[in-house]
Amino acid sequence: MRHPSEPAIEVRNLKKSFRDVTALDGVTLALEPDRIYGLLGRNGAGKTTLMSILTGQGFPSSGEVLIHGTDPYENDGTLARICFIRESQKYPEDFTPAQAFKAAALFFAHWDQELADGLVADFALPLTRRIKKLSRGQLSAVGVIIGMASRAEITVFDEPYLGLDAVARQIFYDRLVEDFARHPRTIVLSSHLIDEIANLLEHVVVIDKGRILLDEDADSLRGSAVAVTGNREAVEGFIGGYRVLHRDALGSLASVTIQGRLGQTQRSMAAELGLELSPVPLQQLVVRTTMAAQAETPLENHQEALK
Amino acid sequence: MNRVIKVARMQLINKWTFLGIPMAILLGSTLLTFAIWAMLPPGAREGTLYSGSGQAVMWYFLALGIQSLTYTFPFSQAMSVSRRTFYLGTLGLFAAIAMAYSILYYLLGLVEKATGGWGFNGQLFALDWIAGNHPVIQVLFYFVAMVLLFMIGFWGATVYLRWKATGLLVAGIGVAALLLGVLAAVGLNDAWPQVGAWFAAMQVLGLSIVLGLVCVALAGGSYLTLRRATT
Repeated sequence: MRHPSEPAIEVRNLKKSFRDVTALDGVTLALEPDRIYGLLGRNGAGKTTLMSILTGQGFPSSGEVLIHGTDPYENDGTLARICFIRESQKYPEDFTPAQAFKAAALFFAHWDQELADGLVADFALPLTRRIKKLSRGQLSAVGVIIGMASRAEITVFDEPYLGLDAVARQIFYDRLVEDFARHPRTIVLSSHLIDEIANLLEHVVVIDKGRILLDEDADSLRGSAVAVTGNREAVEGFIGGYRVLHRDALGSLASVTIQGRLGQTQRSMAAELGLELSPVPLQQLVVRTTMAAQAETPLENHQEALK
Repeated sequence: MNRVIKVARMQLINKWTFLGIPMAILLGSTLLTFAIWAMLPPGAREGTLYSGSGQAVMWYFLALGIQSLTYTFPFSQAMSVSRRTFYLGTLGLFAAIAMAYSILYYLLGLVEKATGGWGFNGQLFALDWIAGNHPVIQVLFYFVAMVLLFMIGFWGATVYLRWKATGLLVAGIGVAALLLGVLAAVGLNDAWPQVGAWFAAMQVLGLSIVLGLVCVALAGGSYLTLRRATT
């Protein structure tokens, strides 16, 4: 059925404007099947808008969305392969979690009740309490359970962790990875807590002001930048020619994050100059990239904001 | 098609909303009417006793129209149901329930006549001007009345979903202005006698057809509104 080369999700020149806001400004993406994608960006960057359009819940002002080659909007055949739980997902006022799961079991062909039951126990979710009486964390747990147990080919989570405590979040990440290993599918996860999910992600998409800033494999992204620390003049001499993502200075010391891969020669050169090279965590990388993109001109003006 | 039925089943997961409450209202309002009739002093019991309590369920259907959309539509989106399928499943379910209640009303009307107005010489279901018609027309009238109230609620809820309070306000003022315009047109043309005659001449069947057309208009409007609504 599936062509190996066919993207699971393809988005072409997507634009979406609300009355006076441009939420998406020419987004083009191709997400491969059976991988875990992180959709990262600031509040209001366009994450939720993008996710609701690519799951057929919203529609673009212009551009095209293809899920396994077909437009999901008002297309039940395609929609049946998708599960998107919103961060502020609404449930029928009088439903209990048990009833919400019963409904999900009706619509999602691959629904796994056992998995759902296990997650209910993990999250200690009260099954027979009205959903409107649940705490924010419990409400998020309902969404997480539907999203995971539906085993939809395309599963999209919009900041699924709101109100979940650190233990519950770890349970979510662990179960997601376990279940993904047994039942690979295309997962898109949006999050602010980048470092928490960094190990989960196979591919990172960073969006800002409705534009894609970064669309890269997570592994190659991790090696794509390096922080150079040491004597200011030595640092300045060393980084010539590289794109600077961020500068910090303290007296005669400087720490500069540069974009680029360093070869063996450059590494030994840095050692000779007494410079320290350190990897940049994913979260730092995303923050630096976003901020560097926001500043057209040199970065000095933005140094304060970074601290 | 299968998913349309699943939407109906989803609406019925909480049996109380679509099934329990209407039945409780019907039973409750009918028994209360009987109790009131039984308490009347003998002097007040002469002649036929009329009650409008049969309408009680119908007004609940107005609320049900609002609820079935506002409660369930955003959830149906998370269940990856298209707007069209949600619409068909919800309206289809309500049409089936309305048909069942219409037939029940007709049957209760028969019981009412057979028992001498429930032993009180009362009229609750078999109101004279309806009960004199062919059974099919009676059922049709009840059905159209129930669907109309449901559709008003459902349509209002779709307008609210898409355009929020502003939309409802504009729609409300628009409908009011339209009615006022019709009244003004009739009044300015001194056409009230003709209008009165037209209403008098219109039998239950005619009324059912006119209200049925309003239902169709509301159903079409709801679909077009819902098609571009987001949660």
